[in-house]
Amino acid sequence: MREYFRYFKWLYIVLAVGALLTVVLHAGHWTMAKTMNYQRTNTECATDERVFDKADVLSDKEEEKLRKLIAKREKQTGCDIVLVTLNEPLEEYARAIEPGVISEEYVRVYAEQSWEKMGFGFDVPDGDGVMLVDNWSREDDGRIHTWLCTTGRARDAYYVEDIDHLLDNVYRYVEDDPYRAYKTYVNDFYHDMMGWNVSHLSVPGFVPWLIGIIASVIFAAVNWRSKEGKKTTTATTYVEGRKPVFRTSHDRFLRKTVTRRKIQTSSSGGSGGGSHGGGGGHHGGGGHSR
Amino acid sequence: MIFKCRNCGGNTVYSPEKGRMYCPHCESTDSEEKIGDSSLTQCVNCGAPLQITDFTSACRCEHCGNYLIFDERVENAFEPKLILPFRIGKEGAVAAMEKEFSRRLFAPADFLSAKSLEKMEGIYVPFWLYDYGAFYDFAGEGTRIRTWRSGDTEYTETSYFEVIRQMDVNFDRIPVDASIAMDDRIMDLMEPYDYRALADFEPQYMSGFFGEVYNQPAQQLEGRAQEKARQASEEMLQSSLTEYATVRPYRKNLKLNSEGFCYALMPVWQYAYRYKDQSYLYHVNGQTGKVIGVTPVSRGKVLAYSASVFAAVTALCYMAVHVLEIL
Repeated sequence: MREYFRYFKWLYIVLAVGALLTVVLHAGHWTMAKTMNYQRTNTECATDERVFDKADVLSDKEEEKLRKLIAKREKQTGCDIVLVTLNEPLEEYARAIEPGVISEEYVRVYAEQSWEKMGFGFDVPDGDGVMLVDNWSREDDGRIHTWLCTTGRARDAYYVEDIDHLLDNVYRYVEDDPYRAYKTYVNDFYHDMMGWNVSHLSVPGFVPWLIGIIASVIFAAVNWRSKEGKKTTTATTYVEGRKPVFRTSHDRFLRKTVTRRKIQTSSSGGSGGGSHGGGGGHHGGGGHSR
Repeated sequence: MIFKCRNCGGNTVYSPEKGRMYCPHCESTDSEEKIGDSSLTQCVNCGAPLQITDFTSACRCEHCGNYLIFDERVENAFEPKLILPFRIGKEGAVAAMEKEFSRRLFAPADFLSAKSLEKMEGIYVPFWLYDYGAFYDFAGEGTRIRTWRSGDTEYTETSYFEVIRQMDVNFDRIPVDASIAMDDRIMDLMEPYDYRALADFEPQYMSGFFGEVYNQPAQQLEGRAQEKARQASEEMLQSSLTEYATVRPYRKNLKLNSEGFCYALMPVWQYAYRYKDQSYLYHVNGQTGKVIGVTPVSRGKVLAYSASVFAAVTALCYMAVHVLEIL
């Protein structure tokens, strides 16, 4: 047992330091989150509802849980957080408002119109907030489109890569578990607005287990030494003067050839495709398709 | 022959720690006196019958415990020219093994205990030491490759060189064990010995140890020495060609000229342990303390240690992910 603790002493010290660091960070995180308590000043908003599950992909219980989570996150971020799921083609609707709009941005038109019509915004109508519109109906291009619409402080905080990251995370779960996807949307928005997770790290849950298994297998393999012993002689062990004597060591240049090869550069494409921008001037946002 | 203490009549032995003859009975040093001629069948001290092999040159009488050296196997044609005296004693050999095995993490903690020890012998193993003068004549074509990029084009330049190497190598005392009982592979792993401590043979060095006379003549074992010389020459040649990416030889001649050989005895501690119905044999270089041998594996230790690593690494990964997600 003594040998065991002596061997793993440093591992346990690192583990303890890591645990301490994690606890301290969590405590700081928790304390900061507790102290954040924005008061909503927008009195003109047409509704208190934040979850519009028109596509009916969430159960009542899930909707209720999302409402509670959104209420908490709104106070912490000072932004309205709205979720809309649809299951209807938007081409006609969007083209009536913006005739030249492309299919990827039908949802943008819908999001911006809804946002303005309902008067969302935490501080004032059309003020700080974010809306995710996920339209489960396939447009004529055969794809499902999603849009994240940002306004006010949310628009200032969100760059293109932040939107892509958030929508990537939503798309990771949306087909199998819409509730988890939309919960991720709310929590990622909260983290982003708090200025956390700047690395945008999102590691699947099995990865630490996999690393642990690989590490322990390598550890066992390296230490499972049945080798009798190492060879400790070298080529010069029995050589007088420990080195050979070169009578001739001659290197003469003969010729040279040069070959060339074109480097193929591959053009990269996003997994779900994406578009960015905003039509309303004061709206920001971006979309993904699946 | 047997070496007896002039002061107390006890059997004096060579002490590796003291580097001189020592009487363990009265603790006198250099008090040895060579007694009598010994027969191969009877102990010269107590007259008890001896059971020795065809090659035994020194042994311990099982009845009186005295160490005997057989004159006719250390004289004339069988007289070693050189001997490398033991520098590490029994305790030193055990300490060397404990040190080595403490690095083998999965070895059971209790397997080196006294109760599992079956045999412990210090043996002078017969070796032939060969001298060679080697001449290696090599010619070939070597290539050096340089790669660079310009725009979207990658260029590869290959330069060709004529490479000539002619080298002389003087091999001094390449050791080859001349004992059938000793595994050649293990004896090779025991190397190297520090030849600076080689001494002219004196039978006193053998008192307190077991010993063998060479089992095979030098001519019979010369092939192994030549192979060692060839391999070493090839390695030295290759290390002079490292600046080339590829080398295609078109002339390669290695000539080995024998420059003599001599018969020497090298010190080896041999320990046999029995652990969970299995025998484990260990060899310790009696001069350098180098340990050769396979250790058993404790499944409990493998499980406990690997599980600890798994748990710790997984926990650390989770913490790292958490911290990075918060920051």
